[in-house]
Amino acid sequence: MIKFIQLLMTGVAVGLIYGLMALGFVLIYKASKIFNFAQGEMVMVGSFLAWTFVGLFHLPILPGLLIAFLIAGVVGYFLERFPFRPMIGQPILAIIMMTLALAVFMRGFAILLWAEHIGIKFPSFIPEKTIYILQAPISSVILWSLILVLTLVVVLSLFFRYTRTGLHMRAAAESHQLSQSMGIRVTKAIAQSWAIAAVVSAIGGFLLGYVRGIDFGLAELGLIAIVAALVGGLESFNGAILGGVIIGVAETFTGGYIGRGLREVVPFIVMVLVLFYKPYGLFGLEEIERV
Amino acid sequence: MRLPSGTFNISYIQDMMVFRTIHHRIGLAVFLILLFLFPLFATQYWQAILNTIAVTVIALQGLNILAGYCGQISIGHSAFMAVGAYGSALLMKYLDLPFWPCLLLSSVGAGVVGIIFGLSSLKVKGFYLAISTIAAQYIITYMIKTPFPQVTGGPISLHVPPVNLGGFVLETETHFYYLIMIITILMTFISKSITRSHIGRAFVAIRDNDIAAEAMGINLYRYKLLAFFVGCFFAGIAGAIWAAYSKVISPDDFTLMNSVWLMGMLIVGGLGGTLGPIFGAIFIKALNEACVIIGPIITSLIPQIGAQFSAALVEMAFGVTIVIFLIYEPRGLAHRWEILKESYRLWPFSY
Repeated sequence: MIKFIQLLMTGVAVGLIYGLMALGFVLIYKASKIFNFAQGEMVMVGSFLAWTFVGLFHLPILPGLLIAFLIAGVVGYFLERFPFRPMIGQPILAIIMMTLALAVFMRGFAILLWAEHIGIKFPSFIPEKTIYILQAPISSVILWSLILVLTLVVVLSLFFRYTRTGLHMRAAAESHQLSQSMGIRVTKAIAQSWAIAAVVSAIGGFLLGYVRGIDFGLAELGLIAIVAALVGGLESFNGAILGGVIIGVAETFTGGYIGRGLREVVPFIVMVLVLFYKPYGLFGLEEIERV
Repeated sequence: MRLPSGTFNISYIQDMMVFRTIHHRIGLAVFLILLFLFPLFATQYWQAILNTIAVTVIALQGLNILAGYCGQISIGHSAFMAVGAYGSALLMKYLDLPFWPCLLLSSVGAGVVGIIFGLSSLKVKGFYLAISTIAAQYIITYMIKTPFPQVTGGPISLHVPPVNLGGFVLETETHFYYLIMIITILMTFISKSITRSHIGRAFVAIRDNDIAAEAMGINLYRYKLLAFFVGCFFAGIAGAIWAAYSKVISPDDFTLMNSVWLMGMLIVGGLGGTLGPIFGAIFIKALNEACVIIGPIITSLIPQIGAQFSAALVEMAFGVTIVIFLIYEPRGLAHRWEILKESYRLWPFSY
């Protein structure tokens, strides 16, 4: 029972981080119908970026992270302009290949800058304590990341509901043509969603890197975020978070009860099963196609 | 396709010819002769490069049928190569079968595995299909790595027994060169034939609009799964040959990144044509080799950038190449080649 609670809490916390990264993916998808396979690499680069300011330049933790996330956001904003605006109206294969090419490029970039620092850790600034919930020992780091992710999710949903920019982005996600005729600059809205997605991915990367150390394997965890988004359904923010939690819990439970090897593939198995029975995810919109 | 000046089709047989004029046939013959004389005047290094390119071409022809003709995106192609590679290696190792049956059996096995993962293509398409082929990539690699490490060599590596063709053991680069070239030419011929047949037409119809294709009486289930079978069969052949050629295989030879590279080669070469895979494989391999040569030179000139520059350069150059091709020439090098031929077709009277 203790193990169960421990695994559940860890799973939920990891799952919420996945959900956060999946949110970044869904954001871009909703705004521009682009499936961002570079999500994993954005997470990895974001994590390295955060470490560069906090660990390498020894800035104090909050300003360092803020600078890193700001840079991630600016880079994300300009990603829309260069590789992705020419892709509007292109076949789906071209768009997928574009994001994959971006992923390969970012990986090369990360190797160039950070290959000698592989396996580093963030300087620890959260007091390491073990907290007992129903007698199950839980690390305080996990609780902190849980709180942080939940706060972020609330902030983001408020942002989309009440601010002008957020409303513009939602309108652009609904229909490019309609929102353009209402005076919304769609390209700007898409660029903003790329920026927010980049920041959110960087935050997810920072949290994951804090929990498990930073290396190039983070990119594959970012890929799991895409899986989470698919399980939840691509159209829904809540679905992304829930999908992340489902994947995270499934992962920790197989890791805890069955074995480490299976743990790495369990997200994909869950996804294939979900896709087979509900092709558009748990909360996705079913597309009806006509010739 | 436009024909050279003064050439007209006056029968269906002429219309269906692949090599229509005498110049085409002479060109083909010269190319084949040069290809087979190549080891006489080339070093081991160049033979090895051509071997790698040829194996890649086989896999790409399959991917081209699957993605270029039938429009089913697969980013798990190197995993299907792994099925072929491990299948033939294990058959050769544990059952002592000769090479040819192993090649065939493991490729059929790869095709069947392709059908299993292609089942999701009946329900979903586009992006969803791409991600379920990524799932195939991870699941297949897991099956190699974890459940039976004593049999498959686990995450480390597996030694492949030497290839024995009726008492003749293939050892040197040149031996493999001839084996690989013959199989590559054969597989290219087969892929061309498939795409020219009614099956290829059905694939193209499905790619252009699968609902319309279904309305026209094309059995979607059958042809989509057939496309997966054929594509993965080719991948299986490529994998089996790769296993025999490299003599040691490990799961690290068949990662997601390799699949992405295969897809990238197809984009660079051009989808939906027989020449595309060949151009793509040659171009990306050349780019790769260039980076491997240039990287250390730049590192020695500017030591501050570190020893990892070479590895980083390969990946970044690949990424940038794909981006440039997608924006400026999405139809690939094959299309450029067509334009070049077209401009010389009526030469010197080009109007």
